[in-house]
Parts: sequence; structure tokens; C-alpha cells
Amino acid sequence: MNEEILHPVMNMKWRYFKQRLFFGAVRLSAFVITFALLGILAYILANGFRAITWEFLTQPPTDSMTKGGIMPAIVGTLYLTVGAILVAMPLGVVSAIFLTEYAKQGALIRIIRIGVNCLAGVPSVVFGLFGLGFFVVFLKFGSSILAGALTLGILILPTIIGAAEEAIKAVPQTFREASLALGVSKWNTIFRIVLPSALPGILTGAILGVGRAAGETAPIMFTAAAFFTAVLPKSIFDEVMALPYHIYVLATAGTHIEETRPLQYGTVLVLIALVLGIDLIAIIMRSTLRRNKRW
Amino acid sequence: MEKDFIIRTKNVDFFYGAFRALSDVTVDFEKNKVTALIGPSGCGKSTLLRLLNRMNDLIDGTRVEGEILFEGRNIYAPDVDPVEIRQRIGMVFQKPNPFPKSIFNNITYAPKLAGIRDRGEIEALVEASLKQAVLWDEVKDILTKSAMTLSGGQQQRLCIARALAMKPDVILMDEPTSALDPISTAKIEELIDTLKKHYTIIIVTHNMQQAARISEYTGFFYLGKLIEFNATEKIFTNPDVKQTEDYITGRFG
Repeated sequence: MNEEILHPVMNMKWRYFKQRLFFGAVRLSAFVITFALLGILAYILANGFRAITWEFLTQPPTDSMTKGGIMPAIVGTLYLTVGAILVAMPLGVVSAIFLTEYAKQGALIRIIRIGVNCLAGVPSVVFGLFGLGFFVVFLKFGSSILAGALTLGILILPTIIGAAEEAIKAVPQTFREASLALGVSKWNTIFRIVLPSALPGILTGAILGVGRAAGETAPIMFTAAAFFTAVLPKSIFDEVMALPYHIYVLATAGTHIEETRPLQYGTVLVLIALVLGIDLIAIIMRSTLRRNKRW
Repeated sequence: MEKDFIIRTKNVDFFYGAFRALSDVTVDFEKNKVTALIGPSGCGKSTLLRLLNRMNDLIDGTRVEGEILFEGRNIYAPDVDPVEIRQRIGMVFQKPNPFPKSIFNNITYAPKLAGIRDRGEIEALVEASLKQAVLWDEVKDILTKSAMTLSGGQQQRLCIARALAMKPDVILMDEPTSALDPISTAKIEELIDTLKKHYTIIIVTHNMQQAARISEYTGFFYLGKLIEFNATEKIFTNPDVKQTEDYITGRFG
């Protein structure tokens, strides 16, 4: 205690040292995260790019899935992801509108919010089992695009609700007041003023949702994904192949696991590219919207 | 001649939760006149203004007692639709708040939702409203540009034009010039002077010179009570209540 007072200079040195130490640690963790991400991407790219051929992207698998392409899985994942978004977006946005604009803040709303947050923390395999029990068996959808998209839709619902709520809350109250003061109904105010202004933020939620929906394996394992189909689905009641499940199958369940390694890397690469592609569309939409909506 | 009162409040009390923001306010607003509401911050003048078109409905946990009559009808009666009230009693806010839309669409937004569909009628309405708000000459060539590109004073006149497009009977103004520079303020004041031929204007202002310049009647509020309501000239030259005089001469507030 006394020493610190008697030797202020030493004390300062110690403080500087501590400061440098902490900054160093912070910097280091940022680097570690970035390198981990880049490392994974580089590794997949290095191992996967040789598998990417025109045939790989446009043909179904052949020879017990040791050769050929992954086209059915690409198409299946696209269907499932778009389907999940179509399910979760309207439901999520409407829920967010209810939570932020209509519901009286109180016990009920708190319980709903806790429920939404809990939903976000539920392991994805539980969603898979729920989808199996409810959509596949109880509603008799069978293992199908419909059941898979609904299951994935519920899985990403909390993400969409959360993002939409934040986006709606961020719309200035003055916009609502201006509209209501003109004798415009609350519904029209929300639909024509609040939602358009909140759209960029809602799209952010959609982007996060796409990433999750496209990449999840467990929820579609029981509800939508086929081990192998050479044909494309004809209706939403058909099974599909899906990229994450295909990777899982190739890496664990096949008889030629080592042989198909390049195909596995290639499929991972395609999955990542697909997610980035869908995200890119949403990001471009969002930035165009933002340019038009400045306040 | 019998005076024509368009809005009358009778013994109005207003509560934010347990806090009583207004007590026993009884005041009559004469048709086609400008009435100014003055008083120190937190005195309840804005609260009263926002009661007149039911904007305080938006705040949870508030309660109104007493009656507010618009053309003889209590606007807080259960069968009254606040949307209809707000179509007839427009409002201009302290900070200009145009929508992030084009100038044209700012004006047409509410009338379109109220059912005006005819293209010609809408265009005529835009021109008439902007002319009334003395903004037409400045924006007639840039109607499709975003309203956000206008200056603050222009934005506020656009907000007035937007309110006028609904053809209201009453326009409530909540410190409409407090965010504007003196030149823009002068323009708005001029505008108020021409508008009163067709509209009843009730304006909250912190600026006493402004109240004296533009209003026929003035109400002075203090701590949620209407201390004095009188002809503006009387209030500013020979008020009946000592408190009013103290406020106007700058002894407190």
C-alpha cells in the first residue's frame, strides 16, 4: 500500500505493463478468431476446389456416391432454405410487430419473450425430433421438403423475431406520431411507415437465418433429407438430398469414406458458397434499401 | 355576436401514472383564431395540446378525466374513433418529421389511405397544399426528391402542407419553430397568419414574443393549471393574475 504511494513511477511502469498485457491479449484473441475463420476457409478451399467441376455441380451422384456430382443436394438445400425463410419471415415479423407495437408490456409479454429466447437455445436435434413427431408423423407430411422447411423455419424463428423486434424498435417514434396524427390507422402506420423503415434490419435477421437453415443437419435428418435420390423433387411432399446431410453421409456412413474425401470437401465448399451467395443477395437488397431510407 | 367555439375542454385532469400533469383545465378555443399556450417547461401545455387530438393515447398508463368537446361531441366518448378525430384535427410537431419518402408522397400518403384515388385530384391536392404552406415555388421541380433533402424550415412547411392535405378543421402546433432559424421562423409565423382564415390554430410556444405576434388568445399554464386565459393583448399588457405578469416580465420561468 505504502509502496505504491512512495514509488509512483514504478507504479506507472507496472500499470503500463498491465495495459500492454491486456491490449496484447485482446489483439491476440481478435487475430486468433480471424485466423481460425480464414484458416478453415483456406483449408476447405485448398482441399475442395479440385472437386468442383461442371459435372460435380450438375450431375447426381453415381457409383454408390463415390463419383458424380451433388446437384440434387444443391437443389434440395436451396428448396429447404428458401422454404424455411418463407415460413419464418412472415411468422417472425408478425410476432415482432405484436410484441413491439400491440402487446401491452407486462407479464404475458415477458413470458413470450423468455419463450422465444429459450427456443433460440434449444439444440437443433430437438427441433428435428419435434419436426419428425409433429410434421412428419402427426400431420402426415412424411419426410418431405414441406416438413423440413417447417422444421427449419421454427428453428430460425427466434433469430428472425429478435432481429425484427430490434429493427422495429429502432424506427423513430416521430414517424409513428407523424402518421397517426394525420388520421392514419395504427395498422396502416405499421404497415406503410414502420415496416418499410425496419426492412433493412429485418433482412439482417433473414441473413442470419439463411446461414443457420442451410447449414443445419440434425433438423432435416428426420424430416426431409434423403440418403440418395437421383431425381429432383416434383412436389413439396417429396424427399430431397441436402448438402449438410450429404456431407454427413459421405463422411460417416459410406463404405468408401476415404475415397470420397475430395467430394466431401467439395460439398462443404459448395455449401459455404451457397450460403454466402444467398447472404450476398440479402446484403445487396439491404444496402439498396438503406440508401433510399435515410433519416 | 355569439362566439363560435370549436373545441371546449371541461374540468380536464390528466395523469401519467400517479403524476397529475393537468388539473381542472377548462378552456374554450374559438374557431378560426390563433390561440397560444404558454408557460414554463413541464407546465402541461403540450400535454393539453396532445389531448386535443388524442395523441396521448399512445402513451401507456395515462388517464383522462373531464370532457373535451370537439364541435359539441366528447372526443373521449367510447364510441369515438381517434383516427377520425385526428383526420379533422391535424398536428405539427416540434421537430420537423417528414417521412423518408418523396416530397410528393409525403403529401399524398394520408389522403390516399383516406380513400382519394383519382390521380388528377391527388396532383391538385399536392399543389394546393404546398401553395397554402408557401412551399410550392421552392419544391415544384423536385417533387420526386426525398423530403429528407429539404432544409429544416422547408421540412416544417412540408409537415404543415402534409397536415393541410387532410383538410382538417383544427391544426395543433407543438412549438413548431423551436428547431428553426429566425428566417424560417418568420416564414412559419407569416404562414400561420394566412392559415387562420380557414383553420383554427392552437399553438404551444416557448417564445412569448411569438405568442404576442401571432395569437388572438393566450393561455398561461403553470404546474398543470391554467392560470389565465385571455385575449393576447390583455395578457401581454395588463394580465389579471400576478403570476402571469411575473412570467411574462421574466421574473420566473
